[in-house]
Amino acid sequence: MTFVTDSTIEPSEMIEPVATAARPRAKFRKRGVVTKWLAIIWLALLTFTAIGANWVPWVNHDCSQFGDKAATECSTHLIGSPFLLEKPPAWATFADAKGITIPGAPERTGWFGTDSNGRDIFARSMFGARVSLTIGASSIIFGLIIGGGLGLLAGYKGGRIDRFIEALMNIILAFPALLLVVFIVGFFGSSGADQATNRSIQPIILALVVLSIPPLQKLVRANTIVYAQREFVTAARSIGASSSRIVLREILPNVVPAMLTFALVGVAIVIVAEGALAYLGLSVNAPSPTWGNLILDGQSKLENSWWISLMPAATMFVTILSINLLGDVLAEKFRIREAIG
Amino acid sequence: MRYVGQRFVQLVIVVIAVTFTVSLALSAMPNAKERVILYRGAGLTNQAEKDKLLDSLHLNDSPPAQYGYFVKDLVTFNWGTTNNNESVKTSIWDGLQISIRLMFYGQLFALGLAIPVAIGAAYRNGGLFDRLSTTISFGFLSAPTYIIAPVAILLFSVHWKFFPSLSKNVSFFDDPWLHFKNFIMPTVALALPVAAGYMRLLRADMVNTLQSDFITTARAKGVSTNRILFGHALRPSMFSLLTSAAINVGTLVGGSLIVETAFGLNGLGRKTVLGIFSSDFRLVQVTVAILALVYVFFTFLVDIAYGWLDPRVRAARTLS
Repeated sequence: MTFVTDSTIEPSEMIEPVATAARPRAKFRKRGVVTKWLAIIWLALLTFTAIGANWVPWVNHDCSQFGDKAATECSTHLIGSPFLLEKPPAWATFADAKGITIPGAPERTGWFGTDSNGRDIFARSMFGARVSLTIGASSIIFGLIIGGGLGLLAGYKGGRIDRFIEALMNIILAFPALLLVVFIVGFFGSSGADQATNRSIQPIILALVVLSIPPLQKLVRANTIVYAQREFVTAARSIGASSSRIVLREILPNVVPAMLTFALVGVAIVIVAEGALAYLGLSVNAPSPTWGNLILDGQSKLENSWWISLMPAATMFVTILSINLLGDVLAEKFRIREAIG
Repeated sequence: MRYVGQRFVQLVIVVIAVTFTVSLALSAMPNAKERVILYRGAGLTNQAEKDKLLDSLHLNDSPPAQYGYFVKDLVTFNWGTTNNNESVKTSIWDGLQISIRLMFYGQLFALGLAIPVAIGAAYRNGGLFDRLSTTISFGFLSAPTYIIAPVAILLFSVHWKFFPSLSKNVSFFDDPWLHFKNFIMPTVALALPVAAGYMRLLRADMVNTLQSDFITTARAKGVSTNRILFGHALRPSMFSLLTSAAINVGTLVGGSLIVETAFGLNGLGRKTVLGIFSSDFRLVQVTVAILALVYVFFTFLVDIAYGWLDPRVRAARTLS
């Protein structure tokens, strides 16, 4: 088949079609392995720091180690130092602090610099990762349970139940995705009559769960239908296995790889959606930052201090890229076509 | 015809459910009345006036009656006023103009970028250009609009000062050059992730098509490469791309709210978000209902067109 694929190459190159076709592909694969491991390492490090953000020394400094200078020179994700307002990252030798400078203050500081309150942006990004990853993971887990359950039910039972669930999913899909989330969070999120104070994490997760149910349901349903017609299911039924046993013990284990692969990419989608909410000012309120909040905070200061907005943006970008890369690798491994566009 | 009929029944059910949900969201909310009084009736003190305000919005009626009023108002275009006593109709119309413009430019840009790149990538599958474009498109797929927007502003407004960082709604007919300057950055920020998706779709289909027998036959006949790519291979490969583009028409009109926020354009999405913040329920309800209806209608059209373009789809769907 490779011969046909490269039907556009020149006749002189066609003498060894297999060799010309195989070489770039081998290179491709080797590079894929490197990027795959980079992605895994990044995600592992990020998860580790996100979970341990409170204790890991390179995120949460103990300000007492500075002694009496603690009040002026130590900055964490919450405590800002007036000494360190809008300082560029330590490695950015091309960037200058254009804000107010107090004599004796360092010109550059930290890995990601500091924001306009003198707080450490790296620490804030890592604490932001905590919120963003929590929201991403828990939304997808609930989405998997509900959407997967509905998908198994619809795919196995078929008929009227299937049509009813499909209609339900179509109704959810009919709303523009982001507007639906904004609608839910905005209307049900704030408890008081005054707007946007004390918004907690639950309504956001609820909204994102609603968003993630239909695609997961559709994927699981399609896979269930395929496996429900296989011989081993017929065999199980003929020896008298109950429906619940067939679904849980025969079909579910076969559907799980597709579910998990899709769920992984789903985490990235949910993190992006949460960032969008935060960017619109509809996510968790301060003091807990999320990536979207951090990007929004820095955007008005882009002119003087680009790092406030762009360093969290870069963190988020690399994370989403890693998740998508891993999702691609898994999808290829399990031969899953993308279920939604 | 039976297939169209089935789809139509589904359409009607979804339309009813969508309007129902939007209408009932208000009565399901625990503190809707207090919020309305807080934002709309700021000067009202006695209970009679407050009740009058709530009555005028049908908030004291039962949920089914509220739904009836909502549908009636929606159909008769009697959409009421916003909190600032502006007509909801004009408010939505103003926003819609900007959103549709963004959607149109974005689609144009995305398709114009994705189609040539995808053809080039599929032509030498596995070659340098393919690997480069696939990698770059993967990057853009992972870069949400609110990450592209600050980077674009930093480069093109702050550093090089080409374009304004806050876009103004300048009409094309007043000043084409200013219009271009104001809309190029929102368009690109909106279109790049979309273009990346399109490119991957078209490339995958095109690679498949290029493996078909009729392409080999065409090559054997001595048809030129350009003719094979554009004349023979492109059309059968465009199927999923066109589907996705058509569905995106509905999605992008409501989905451009991030771009609108980033560049300060008062489009429909931004108006909705601001409406949610100020508890402007009428505006939000009508906007969400309209956007959902537009989306449902476009999906319906795509489904019909799908069956019409490819008889196999029609047959398979009627059977199942």
